[in-house]
Amino acid sequence: MEPGDLRLSTTSAPAAPASRTGRRRGGPLSALGPVLGIVPFLLYVAVFLLLPVGVLAVEAFRATDPVTFDETWSTGNIGTVTGGAYARAYLGSLQLSAITAVLSAVLGLALAFAVVTTRRGRLLRRLVLTASGVLANFGGVPLAFAFLATIGTAGVVTPVLTGTLGLDGFRLASMAGLAVVYLYFLVPLMVLTIVPAVEALRPQWREASDVLGASGWQYWRYVGGPVLAPPVLGATMLLFASAFAAYATARALVGSSVPLVTLQIADSLSSNVVVGAENLGKALALGMVVLVGLVMVFYTWVQRRTSRWLS
Amino acid sequence: MTAAPEPGTVAAGVPGPAPGRAAAPADLREQPPVAVRLEGLTRRYGGVLALDGLDLDVAGGEFLALLGPSGCGKTTALRAIAGFEVPDAGRVWFDRRDVTSVPPSRRDVGMVFQAYSLFPNMTVAENVAFGLRVRRRDKAERAGRAAELLELVGLADRGQRYPHQLSGGQQQRVALARALAVAPQVLLLDEPLSALDAQVRVQLRDEIRRIQLELGITTVFVTHDQAEALSVADRVGVMRAGRLEQVASPDDLYERPATAFVAGFVGTMNRIPAVLGDGDVEFLGVRREVLGSAPTAGPAFALVRPEALEVEADPRGHGRVVTRTFSGAVTRLTVALPDGVEVRADVPSAGSQGLTPGTPVTVTPAERPALVEPADVTP
Amino acid sequence: MSATTAGLSTAGVAGAGGVAPETPVRPARRGRGVWRWAVFAVLGLYFLVPLAASVWFTVRSRDGVTTDAYTSIPTAEGFAENFGRSLAMGLLTVLIALLLMVPTVVLVELRLPRLRPLVELLTLVPLLLPPIALVVGVRSVLAWAPEYFLGTPLAEAFFALQEPALPWILVLVYVVLALPFVYRALDAGVRGAQLRTLTEAARVLGASWPRVMLSVVLPVLRTSVLNAAFLTVALVLGEFTVANILGFETFPTWIVRIAGSQPRLSVAVSVLSLLLTWALLLLISALDRRRREEDPA
Repeated sequence: MEPGDLRLSTTSAPAAPASRTGRRRGGPLSALGPVLGIVPFLLYVAVFLLLPVGVLAVEAFRATDPVTFDETWSTGNIGTVTGGAYARAYLGSLQLSAITAVLSAVLGLALAFAVVTTRRGRLLRRLVLTASGVLANFGGVPLAFAFLATIGTAGVVTPVLTGTLGLDGFRLASMAGLAVVYLYFLVPLMVLTIVPAVEALRPQWREASDVLGASGWQYWRYVGGPVLAPPVLGATMLLFASAFAAYATARALVGSSVPLVTLQIADSLSSNVVVGAENLGKALALGMVVLVGLVMVFYTWVQRRTSRWLS
Repeated sequence: MTAAPEPGTVAAGVPGPAPGRAAAPADLREQPPVAVRLEGLTRRYGGVLALDGLDLDVAGGEFLALLGPSGCGKTTALRAIAGFEVPDAGRVWFDRRDVTSVPPSRRDVGMVFQAYSLFPNMTVAENVAFGLRVRRRDKAERAGRAAELLELVGLADRGQRYPHQLSGGQQQRVALARALAVAPQVLLLDEPLSALDAQVRVQLRDEIRRIQLELGITTVFVTHDQAEALSVADRVGVMRAGRLEQVASPDDLYERPATAFVAGFVGTMNRIPAVLGDGDVEFLGVRREVLGSAPTAGPAFALVRPEALEVEADPRGHGRVVTRTFSGAVTRLTVALPDGVEVRADVPSAGSQGLTPGTPVTVTPAERPALVEPADVTP
Repeated sequence: MSATTAGLSTAGVAGAGGVAPETPVRPARRGRGVWRWAVFAVLGLYFLVPLAASVWFTVRSRDGVTTDAYTSIPTAEGFAENFGRSLAMGLLTVLIALLLMVPTVVLVELRLPRLRPLVELLTLVPLLLPPIALVVGVRSVLAWAPEYFLGTPLAEAFFALQEPALPWILVLVYVVLALPFVYRALDAGVRGAQLRTLTEAARVLGASWPRVMLSVVLPVLRTSVLNAAFLTVALVLGEFTVANILGFETFPTWIVRIAGSQPRLSVAVSVLSLLLTWALLLLISALDRRRREEDPA
């Protein structure tokens, strides 16, 4: 601090301590002070996060009579969304998310290792991490169009795929096509979340393991693997949630020709024809929340088992 | 990191011969004469020469410390012994085996790192037994050996803890136990105490020495702390710029440093302007014999330890006390001499109360041969 | 070799004469990085081809290369309006998110460490909760206005939030979506800055809490605030789900709308927005590094 600043502060000091001690003696208010400081945050979260989800959970159980337009309590919506085309959409979403999450976890982990272990790779590292930041979080719509231009029906690379490589059956507007695009933002998301964990692997562990006579495989089997398992599991979980919730990419790419629950929700909300479709959408959305919650519970359980040594 | 040692640390750091040093020669007769030999070891990083043709022999059962400022190559040398550094040139021998290109996992060494080397996902006992686990020994043997070694390092009751539940000193004990569990040929210690508090450091240092003597294991210990090196090692190698300046017993290193660098790095050393005569050297108004071979006559510096200077209050003395630092039995004085020379002297505390700052004094070197450094050589 | 083996003798510094054979030994440890280059090659191809192909898609024409698709962006119908709206919403989102989170993060660090788990949990939820589920809930709440509150000031407020020119409701939901990023960026900054020592020093010198916030905390958090702000603006500029479900037109929904009639324009805007975001992020990270090198506090 500059000497000048110091003097400035000390000259104003006489007033400040007085007011401070005054507030201290103010009793309950001063103890509450800091808590009051985060009340806006808590209120905001309550109104804009917890309230909407709560409303979802209640109104999914409301049904509108098609004739009288009376609202009643009902489990009809829940029954509807757990069967038929809706169940297929859930299954499709779960499948796509699980497959792309696991695949991206593997590829992203490999990329993270490659980047972290490259010597004198600071520029490369910065390029990869910033690119990952862009693609992982904000790419949805732009990515879809980049892929349409590449391997869509009029895409630049499409003739190479169908002609040279003989991949005639491949269509972007399919589960496989979506998976290819999802990897484009899931792999970067994996890189972003796992790089800190990979960096936290201490070189001393590898060296200690070497010196004690362990092979490279034994090191990964007994040390590196177990240490990385919890963060990798957590990251995979995040990838799954991210893929499961993806809507923009799918909407821009396939319209609603692929059974995905996010597309079903959007359809039911935009339908002005079917009475009560709105509540069906709420039930579908509630189903998503419940599924993500179940996956979280499973994850917490596995995490407890793999990271007993962390607590 | 500075090459200059902390003033005053030497007094505490050299408590005479290290415990058990007398026993070493007897062991040497039974053991192979040389357990580890480094031969012309050279290692270059970019433009920096970390090892510059390093030669070193470590006797079986010996505790050898490599001492030097940071960047002197001592850690690189240790890592070359472990196998983590492959030298650009030169050889590493274990006993009669050329291990230069043997990977670390097949060298049969134990190593303790600076810090944080314990596997965080394993209990203390599992850490200690790791070497046996990868050697596919059965559970009972592993558990037995782990218990035995934890007993040895005084942590018998901590086997089921995880590393992060232990203090830094305890973690290093476990690391030591882990390194010893496989009964290695050579034990390597890479500044194992540098991350610890002063008190724990001294305690663990002495314990490492006790265990080393108990097991009679050949040990190479890398440190930048001279007090540490001098207090536990049979011999100390002082390194500088990828080479050994001197390898000698702590006493020899202190009393008869081979080079000005060693003299300056080990303990506190006064450099006093002197004139070399024929077989003797004149400084502070007296003549003393020259220790070792005398350089050619002319201007020079006499190298004198603080405890080899006597200070007396003298109203007509040319020196003046500048600071006075009491540290128990001895008191360290800084005395300003004419011509801008300052010397440090350690005098018995008893009877030095009168030597307060400002007191005029005379400084006289003790009656014994002095080390001399020619004036044109910069340390 | 035999000579040196025979020469094993008593301990001591071996002769300084370089008798050692000059055999450079560099076995297996080097050159194990093949897998790394394989990873770079495969993933590099996967990530670069779509970008390159998109650029090619936008510039190719019957007679060579044209930049029409890019030059026509500024004057394209709806671009200025929607981009401007999204940018404005992004800035408002940043403002609200920072006003909420800076005091929260600082207080949690300094005064209320026991509330940390709660705040962490609450800021994690938006990351895992599907935005589409959140927005369906928001839609249900908004529907209360015509259903239950009609004629009350509350309904008026609800309708005001849904003004298409500047849909405040989107801003309010985006703040929720941005919470995880903003919280993490700020938390990292606070932890790295030894904030406790700094604020205590300022308090001892007599500064009031608001003064401490303004003249100590904010400058220290400059980089994290910048990071959080940038991430948030980028998030809003790319957000599609919420705007689409609530039926507002923003920058991303505009891109989707024009895709049918002007595919080249939509791809050009997409590529440009990706590359510009990347460039800006690179710039921020470079500035951040330079600053850290200048004052390694």
